[in-house]
Amino acid sequence: MSPLAVLRAIVIAAVLTPAAAVAHGATPQKVIETIEIAAPPAKVWAVVGDFQDMGWLPGIVKTEGEGGVTPEIAKRRLFLAGGAVIDERLVQYDDAAMSLRYIIEHVDFAVLPVGNLSATLKVSPASSGGSVVEWKSRFYRAFPGGNPPEQYTDEVAIKAVSELFRSGLAGLKARVERE
Amino acid sequence: MSLRALAVVFIVLLPPVRAASADEAFIPNQSSGDLTIVDLGAMTPGVTLPIGGKPAGIAVTPDGARAYVTSPEGHFVSVIDAIARRVVKQIAVGGQPFGVAVSPDGRRLYVADMNGRELLEISPETEKTRRVEIGATPSGVAVTPDGRLIIAAARDDNALVLIEAETFARVATIAVGRHPYGVTIDAQGRHAYTANVESDDVSIIDLAERKLIATAPVGSHPYGVALARGRAFVANQYAETVSVFDTATLAPLATIKVGEYPESVGVSRDGATIYVTNWFSNELWSIDAESYKIMGKAATGDGPRAFGAFVRAAD
Repeated sequence: MSPLAVLRAIVIAAVLTPAAAVAHGATPQKVIETIEIAAPPAKVWAVVGDFQDMGWLPGIVKTEGEGGVTPEIAKRRLFLAGGAVIDERLVQYDDAAMSLRYIIEHVDFAVLPVGNLSATLKVSPASSGGSVVEWKSRFYRAFPGGNPPEQYTDEVAIKAVSELFRSGLAGLKARVERE
Repeated sequence: MSLRALAVVFIVLLPPVRAASADEAFIPNQSSGDLTIVDLGAMTPGVTLPIGGKPAGIAVTPDGARAYVTSPEGHFVSVIDAIARRVVKQIAVGGQPFGVAVSPDGRRLYVADMNGRELLEISPETEKTRRVEIGATPSGVAVTPDGRLIIAAARDDNALVLIEAETFARVATIAVGRHPYGVTIDAQGRHAYTANVESDDVSIIDLAERKLIATAPVGSHPYGVALARGRAFVANQYAETVSVFDTATLAPLATIKVGEYPESVGVSRDGATIYVTNWFSNELWSIDAESYKIMGKAATGDGPRAFGAFVRAAD
């Protein structure tokens, strides 16, 4: 299911599963996605580095937040089409390295079936003269115990995050190259 | 120039020679499901053993003969002949075996069931098992050098639990910081240290008094603690650093930049070198315990966890 379809599914189902608990399981997962963008790194970072506006991620209708780009202070709430929200906190911000790291503080499992997600977005110069954006993450499946139900397995979590990142990077590329 | 003067020149010009290390690291790689054995003298990876079940926790007997690896998703503990480099057997324990420690005589394994609220005592020979309730999300486990006391972290209860080895009964529960994870005991068996993932600090417990005596602030998301030369070295997973502080004064001494998502930290037997696993970048790094310089990097499998005391005496 695409991230957009996941978002739509919430609206249709209108059933909210329990919120992501603090507890997490024994096996963290990795996802790394990259994309090349035909624009200089500074131009890409101007979009990616604005923690208070994640409008480039398809499915996000509004970003509300506070604290600018100050690590551990900056927070944002992403409003998804359909009404669900994701709460995130900035934990690292390096303007010179064009890199930031955030964590998800709260997300409904119906939106994204993961726990304890942290993710890094980094913009680097590409050999072609444009930019490479890398989006990588560490997270756990939604179900912390052994033998998870089929909607909360490692595979489901990895697929959801991979699709979200791919969709986001494609959205970022389209927006920056259009500008 | 006299021969003697020449000799002096040579001594000055020669790079400092590090004592040849006969230590090895046994690194369970959770994502690739195997174990990398790293020669710590050369900092080169050697044999890779298939394990399965998403291996995470590691304990090695003091004589270097056996290693034990927990597989939380496979619900078993692997018994490894560390000399022959082979898995002897896998003990089905159920639940999610995670943190593991071994008694100094090598006859008892202590295994935290992360999802089952219990600590298990297992005889690796007979597989006879005893259980004791620990609380929410048992994580790190350590044993005192005299083998009399076991300390386990009840992560989601924000507590360390002390268990008497002989009776395998709880004798104390000590409130620490938020989400204690790795547990390390000093060589004298006087103090236990635990890294509190959510409160970004290290709690220090006096084991005779059975109480919290100090809390040292470290970096974001500390996972593991190693002790060497009167200093604590703490791997901070989000900060991607190792914090160093003086264990007597708690004075911060250094913050060392390491690889991506560092987790477990160990020390050579001579206390000269610190080793840290970098979970995301799939490396084991060595750090000089005096100069804090990065000395070497060894490739591991995918997702090195090595949760526990992973350094093995190979001689």
